[in-house]
Amino acid sequence: MVALARKTLLYEWRRFLPAMVAIGFAGLLQLLQAGLVLGIFGSASVYITGSSADLWVGYPGTQSVNLGRAVNADLAMLLHMDPAVAQVEPFYWVDADWRGPRGTGGESVFVSGIDPRADALMFSRTLAPDLRALLREPDAVVIDRADIDKLGVRVGDTATINGQRVRVVGVGSGLRALGGVNVVSSLDTARELDTDPADDGRPTYLVARLHDPARADAVARRLRGHGGYGPYQVWTARDFSRRSVLYWMLDTGAGAGVLFLAGIVFVVGAVITSQTLMGAVAGSVREYATLNALGVGVGKLRWVVLEQAFWVSALGLLGATVLGVAIIALARSQDVPVVLDIPITLACIVLALGLAAISGLVAMRSLRRADPATLLR
Amino acid sequence: MNGHPRAAEPAGRPVLVADRVSKAFTSGRVRTQVLDGLSLGIEPAELTLISGPSGCGKSTLLAILSGLQRVDQGRVTALGSDLGQLDLRALEQFRLHHTGFVFQGFNLFPALSALEQVELPLDYLGLTRPQARERAVQSLDEVGLGHRMHLRPSELSGGEKQRVAIARALAKRPDVLFADEPTSSLDAANGQMVIDILHRIARAHGTTVLCVSHDPRLIRHADRVLAMEDGRILSDTRPPDPAAAPEGSAT
Repeated sequence: MVALARKTLLYEWRRFLPAMVAIGFAGLLQLLQAGLVLGIFGSASVYITGSSADLWVGYPGTQSVNLGRAVNADLAMLLHMDPAVAQVEPFYWVDADWRGPRGTGGESVFVSGIDPRADALMFSRTLAPDLRALLREPDAVVIDRADIDKLGVRVGDTATINGQRVRVVGVGSGLRALGGVNVVSSLDTARELDTDPADDGRPTYLVARLHDPARADAVARRLRGHGGYGPYQVWTARDFSRRSVLYWMLDTGAGAGVLFLAGIVFVVGAVITSQTLMGAVAGSVREYATLNALGVGVGKLRWVVLEQAFWVSALGLLGATVLGVAIIALARSQDVPVVLDIPITLACIVLALGLAAISGLVAMRSLRRADPATLLR
Repeated sequence: MNGHPRAAEPAGRPVLVADRVSKAFTSGRVRTQVLDGLSLGIEPAELTLISGPSGCGKSTLLAILSGLQRVDQGRVTALGSDLGQLDLRALEQFRLHHTGFVFQGFNLFPALSALEQVELPLDYLGLTRPQARERAVQSLDEVGLGHRMHLRPSELSGGEKQRVAIARALAKRPDVLFADEPTSSLDAANGQMVIDILHRIARAHGTTVLCVSHDPRLIRHADRVLAMEDGRILSDTRPPDPAAAPEGSAT
């Protein structure tokens, strides 16, 4: 088969360039938007995704990690009694007020009290063992490197949280919070910093690791509804993380905004692409008409246009990938939270291909002018 | 004589038959009757020329006889098929398997080489790659472009482009070859070459060539000349001695 679509595309690439750029940018915009939104709202569940716990036990109805209330510490016993559970530890989440040494004023911080041992579950993915070890000192805290300026401290400085003195012993990364600043401390330090009398030294969550993480759903189900431990609920890490991210997305209206923007990007891209393809078809309409006169069916000619649309989008996406990788690398180096995973990337590619297909279908209409009778004069 | 015995009378059954066909075009409120009850038969394996001034309806007649346009009244039979009975898809199939077209504008794809232009319709004909390649090369050789088959239209002269277009039509091995003003945009020498090729196709392949033109140079080369005016055939003549204009001679 003579590759009419591809050869025309290569030979007249200037004609097709606007469509390639349009599809490429549409794909890239969707991807970066999705990456940013997921990155930003993913910070809502950084406590979950940065840890290796499979189950989370907290106050019933908690919609997002940052909205937890204290639960009965004896729940640890319940967890330990289940044979599927390998490891249990408490997690303190304290909403607190930070005052830095350089007069930065009050700053709302979220203190995460964790077990600082090297093999503990909380923040096992974001805090290296040496950094965790530093938390064993009394009143020691670790902050994210992106928050240094906001908190007005350097490593070794002292500050006050809820009126009590703390010392910054290190900086980590991947600890950025949504709507505040994360500060990590040991369990003991966090208990001291918690001034809410209602908490009474009780943990906000209990987290557990299972021997077989694949059974998390079943184990979570059978751990629910035991009496004698006060109000509590058990979630799998996956569910709780999704719950937290969705809460933020829907609560802030960001989800609707993202969909709206995605729709606009799609429409603009489709208009530019279909116009370009229509121009290309119109430019060759006499040749198409000649092929039709020679008996090549209109259906076959439509395929040529669709194939052209496909190649245009493939080349556009290739360019967008190169650009996208560069942009994401830049964003990561600047601590901008961008999260991209395979499903999201695939979804964006499918969207861009859909855009190309729709543009191709629209462009097919200009084939109607390829009536061979008009070639006779 | 060039060795071909020439029948004094039309041989065999007509390949194309128009039976009292009428065709009118409406533009706004103006209705123009282009063909009115015209009847005609085109004989096989010869070059028939329809000549006449512009607007006389000769291109419309070509469009109707080739199945590109439908008649308002009457009947068109091509190779035994009643074209009026065929739907759009069947008409396309009919054209694919039986007809070739050469237009005044060469209508070549700018991105394709001469060889690819000729191969393209063959692919849709269902030929294998090597078959298509072989036929395309053969046809380009026949129109004298064997040595230039890898060039794109932008690298070919007008005459060469028209020869590529002829090769494209010829490679399908059509029963009927339609040519619409094939020499109008060519100079004398190239026009002459194109006429010779068309004539040779009729003789060598037994192809029925129906050519529409107002170019007087063609008349001497045609086996049969139909003069048209105002949608009617004025005269139907056979030039007495086609050998008087041997192939390759200039006008």
